[in-house]
This record gives sequence, structure tokens and C-alpha cells, in this order.
Amino acid sequence: MNLPPFNRFQFIRIIAILMVVSILIQMVRIQTSASAQELPGLSSQYEYRTIYPERGNIYDRWGNLLAGNKEVYEIGVSLNEMQNQETVLTTIAGLTGADYMKMQTRIEEAKAGGVIRYVVLTDFVTPDVVAQIEKKMKEYQNLPAPRKGQVNPSLEGVYWQGHLIRSYPENELAANVLGYYPYRNRDEATGVYGVEQYYNSLLAGVPQQIQIARDPNRVENIPSVPPGSSLVLTIDREIQSAMETLIDQAVEANGAESGTILVMDPRSGEFLALATQPRMNLNNYWEILDVYPGATPFNRIVSQTFEPGSTFKVLTMAAALDSNTVEPETEFFDNGYIEVGGYYIYNWDRGAWGWQTMTGCMQHSLNVCLSWVATETGADVFYNYMNRFGIGHRTNIDLAGEALFPLSVPGDQYWADVNLATNSFGQGVAVTPIQLITAVSAIANDGKIMAPHILKSYIQDGIQHNIDPMVISQPVTTETAHTLTEMLAISLEEEASNALVEGYRVAGKTGTGEIPNETGYSDMTNASFIGWGPVDDPKFVVYVWLEKPTSNPYGSVVAAPVFKEAVEKIVMLMDIPPDAVRNALK
Amino acid sequence: MKNRFIQAYQQAPWRTQLQWIGFFLLGLVIIVTVAGLYLSITAQSTTAGVEIKELELEKETLDRQIADLKTQLAILTSAKVMKDRAEDLGYIPADPSQAVYVVVPGYTGRQPEIVALPVRPEDQSKSQIDAAYRQSLWEWLFENTSRLIQTRR
Repeated sequence: MNLPPFNRFQFIRIIAILMVVSILIQMVRIQTSASAQELPGLSSQYEYRTIYPERGNIYDRWGNLLAGNKEVYEIGVSLNEMQNQETVLTTIAGLTGADYMKMQTRIEEAKAGGVIRYVVLTDFVTPDVVAQIEKKMKEYQNLPAPRKGQVNPSLEGVYWQGHLIRSYPENELAANVLGYYPYRNRDEATGVYGVEQYYNSLLAGVPQQIQIARDPNRVENIPSVPPGSSLVLTIDREIQSAMETLIDQAVEANGAESGTILVMDPRSGEFLALATQPRMNLNNYWEILDVYPGATPFNRIVSQTFEPGSTFKVLTMAAALDSNTVEPETEFFDNGYIEVGGYYIYNWDRGAWGWQTMTGCMQHSLNVCLSWVATETGADVFYNYMNRFGIGHRTNIDLAGEALFPLSVPGDQYWADVNLATNSFGQGVAVTPIQLITAVSAIANDGKIMAPHILKSYIQDGIQHNIDPMVISQPVTTETAHTLTEMLAISLEEEASNALVEGYRVAGKTGTGEIPNETGYSDMTNASFIGWGPVDDPKFVVYVWLEKPTSNPYGSVVAAPVFKEAVEKIVMLMDIPPDAVRNALK
Repeated sequence: MKNRFIQAYQQAPWRTQLQWIGFFLLGLVIIVTVAGLYLSITAQSTTAGVEIKELELEKETLDRQIADLKTQLAILTSAKVMKDRAEDLGYIPADPSQAVYVVVPGYTGRQPEIVALPVRPEDQSKSQIDAAYRQSLWEWLFENTSRLIQTRR
């Protein structure tokens, strides 16, 4: 084409104008399109999401996982994308066990509402079931196109979203210590009982509500929510397991209502095992009312008070020795009764035991003798010592639900002179197992009580913080503690007690506490034994308590042998050589 | 004389028109280039945003799987399972009378476990996404101009 210059300019001008006009038209078209109308709204639209941090793990002292988290899925359906409701409901109900009618109702309600596009069908579905759903979905996708008038089965529109739930790999082990986390109600859930409750704020972390822009052009940082702190407990899984097996056998063998074994390191206040009954599988926490009917406490160790009986004499004798009221060789003539405040006190066998040293009084567990010791010590001094031992006070152990029975002291409304005598042998005074073992641990630890605790360390922001042992009081001198330990070791040896352990010298005291009822005391007892060892360097204190044994009411018969068996297992699991071997290695 | 000079230096009309067209096209090319650049950066930013979201979802999934696997491992090595396995292998619980103790020089006994530590999280107050993916062209221009001015002062 050979156009004159004028025409060429005209042509270029027209082309340029057309280009500009077309660009303008396109700009106007884009700006006024339906999609563009949504954009200004989208730029200010945010999706709000609550990010729940991973709940902290709970480990035993050796790093064995006691409470962790497990992956499950929430399954829902996008109503806009759903092609075959019948297939969706039938498949999900069949594979997950979810209620067909409930799911159908949810969908119908959402459709009626007209706004909701996504409906949650079921939750807590395991990964293997989700894999089956995915497989079915793919199968349906590969089906040939349906004939006219027919509809293919389809799972289009079904979505799943993973999240974590609490899981307890050991099932029942240390259930009473751990407590549980009712994960089914995630928005309001909080730890219940045990360390799950006590350390809930540490374990839970801080859930964060974040806003995520729906505008894909807005690149925003989703904050990383740090997991909750993990806890390392003082519990030794193997010792805990062994003690639970042992107490289960003992309860069954003695026809007892319940049983408890506590194992403590007196040098640190750490508990190595807290075994009690009943225990439930924490993964099925909704069965709690079946396992703990009525007023059954979840953890008797901290939540049940009872009259300890003669194990309490350890504290009475400690007070008397420390206040220089008596010495081990101080003699007392037991004529079978003693009158205190107008009431007569008798021995457990109603017998008179004649001349007895203080060691003999402990060996034969003489109520008359210990009543005399308490009266000689004096009420003020006696109760002052009980106060120092923590009787009438919570131990403040880091477990939820610690109970307390107040100690009546002179001046209180219900205190009478006879209380001094009955209290001396563990009647008219109530303690929890944790209180008693904490108090007696002073005798095994040079007179010092260490703060009883269950948390050894916690991990926060990647740093492991250790809990240092702490002395909370020293109710008696080191000398008193050693003297009393020796007296109790001798008394076991003289008695040829069922609690003696071959190769290991132990000290301890039996307890048989009558259980009070409306009219006084019933025939049922709390049979117990508290002991520690090795005597020259105590590394453990063990408390055995059998509630209402029917085979025999006495602690010396039913609880002492359990103590022996417990110690035989503990020394193996704690790698404590027999005394002869240990002393030879010194 | 004056008219002759004007005539001598006056552009031919077609040249003036050509210049105007040239300027117009130049302006158009600049606008299109800027618009294209802006579109390209926005597209890259959006793609990066989508990728980040996908990666964050993947990280969430991996965190969940790690937690789940830890629990699965704990189930497989739980006290009861290990005890049953030991019994199946013919082991029996040790008895104190059977134990033989030997002195191992330097051995201080079993030490408490240091539980595997999670990675320490980054400073939460600081965004982990590069500024280039969060700023508009104007924000970038403004920030750098301000910085330049402040440096000059």
C-alpha cells in the first residue's frame, strides 16, 4: 500500500485512538464487572480463626510419654459442591458411625437458613477412616458418566480438617495423678483433676484468635502459636506400674475396698509412684461416673481424709523425743489402761504389757503408752509439733483437689483433754495419705520436710526449667530423726515383722485405724504401714494403705507384707544394692 | 524578514503531528510498562501469598503428624506393652536375690531425661514474610525515599 503521507498519519491516528478507546472500554468493563464489584468488599473481609496451641505433653521422669496428642479429623460438606446427599450421608454414617439422621437434619437446617455453605457432619474421625473416605471418593470420581435420568454416587463436596485431641498412651497408668482433658468440648475444655487441672494454664498455652484476609492479594503472616508447656513429672513409670499391679493384687487378696501405695524420695520430696484405686482409662474419660460412682474420690491420695491409726505414733514419739520428754530407753509400766480427761484408753488387744521401753511401746504399738507419752509431752508442745509436721495443713502438693481435715487443738470448741490421748495413736485426727507421708518423711530425711511435689521440670519456649527441691520445715532435729529411725528399725527386727526386707534394713510402723460411724467406731479398719530405708541412708519412704480389708483388720498382717513386696521391687527399679554390698563399696 | 525567519524555522505541519503522536505513544508505552510492572508484581505477590498459605497449612499438618507419631510411639512402648513383650520373650521380673552389683568407674547412675526440646520459636513480634511481599509499589517507593532523605540529613 502506497498511501500519501497525510493518509498514513490519519491511519496511525485512528489506530492510536482505537487502541486508547479499547483500553478505556476494557478498563471500564473490568471495573464494572460482577467479580470486580465483590473486590472492595473482599478487601475488607477477614476470616476469623482461633488457633489452639498443641497441648503440652506430660512425661515421666525418664521421658516416657504419659499424655500426648493424637490426630483426628473433622468431616464436613460444602453444600454448593455436594452432588449426591444420599451418598454423602450413607458413606459417612457407614464409615464413621455418625448418626445419619442427625447429619441429615444439620444439612436440611443449613439449606433452610440459606446462608451457611459448609456444614460439619462429624468429628474425631481417625486417619484410617479418612483414608477410606478418600478412597471411596476417588472410586466415585472414576465412574463412567451416568445415563440420562440417573445420578452417580458421589462424595464431591466432602472435606476433612485435621486437629489434635488428648491421648493417654498408658491408658489407666497413673490416671489419678494425670487427671484428664475433656477434648470433646474444645472451646470450653480445661484439665480436670491431677496435673491436667493443676497445671492447665501451663499445658494449654494461649489460644490466639487471628484474622486472615480473604483478599488473595494481601499476604499476611499467620502467627506461629507456640505449643503449651510440656511437663516432666517425678513419677517413675516402671515403679508406678509395679505399685499399681501390687496394690491391685493386695486389694483383691485381702478383700479390701480400696488400696493405695505412695513412694517418695524423702531427700527431694519427689514422688516416684502414687498408686491408688479405682483408676480409669483416661482415653474414655466420659466413663468417669461408672468408674467413680457416688462420692468416690478421683484421687484418694490427696482427696480422702481418714483416721490413720498407729502410723501416727511416729509423729507422737518424734515430738516426745525431740522435746526431751522421753528417751528410747525410758520405761513405762503398762497396766492395760490409762485414764485421760475422764476417759479410759486401752491397748489394741485390751492387754497389759507391763514394763516397756519406748522402743517396746512402738514395737507393740501400745495406745496406753503413747497416750502417756503425749500427756507427758503436754498438749501445747504436742500440738505445736503436729503443726510443724503439717498436720491440719494442706501440703500444697501440685495436684488438684487436695482435701483437709482441720486439727482440733486446745481452745477449739470440740477439743477435750481426751483428744490428746486419742490423737497420740491416730484417732480423732484425720489426714490424707499425702499429708501423712510428707510428715513422716521428715524422720527419713534428717528431720527436714521437703516440699512434696510431682513436677520435676517443665519445658517452655524450648527451655527445660527444673524444679529445685525445697525444705519447707524442720520439725525435729537430725538427732531425733536418727534416734527414732533406729527405734523403729529395731522394733521391726524384734517383732520379726512381715515388713522386713532381706538384705535391706528398713524402719517403719504399722497402723490399724478403726473407721468411725454414726455411733462411734465400726468393725472396719484402715490397715496401713509406713516405712523407709535403707536406714543408714534413706532413699525411699513407702506408705501402704488398705481400706476396709476383710481378710484381717490389722496393718501388721495385711499392709506390712505389701510394704515388703513394694520395697523388693523398688530397690531393683531404683538400683539400690543390698546394705552389705553398698557398705562394702563405700 | 520576520516572516521569512519564522517560515525557515517552522516545522512542517506533518512533522509537528508526528511529534505529538510520538509523545503520545511514548506516554502510552510508559503507562503500559508501569501498569504491566505493577500487574506483574501484584501477581507474584499473590502467588507468593497463596504459596505461603499452603506452606503454613503443610506446617500445621506436619506438626500434627509429629505429635501423633510421638503418641503412637508411646503406645507401642507403653509399660504394659513392653511388659507383655518381655514376657513373650521369656523374661521374668528381676529378684533382689538374683541381682549382681558391679562397680563401674565413672558411672553416676541413671540420669533424669532431658526431653527432646522443641525448636525455639522465632521472635513473634517480627513478621517472617519479607517486606517485598507485603508492600505495594507506592509503599516501597515512599519508604525508600524517606530512608534516603533521612540518610542525607
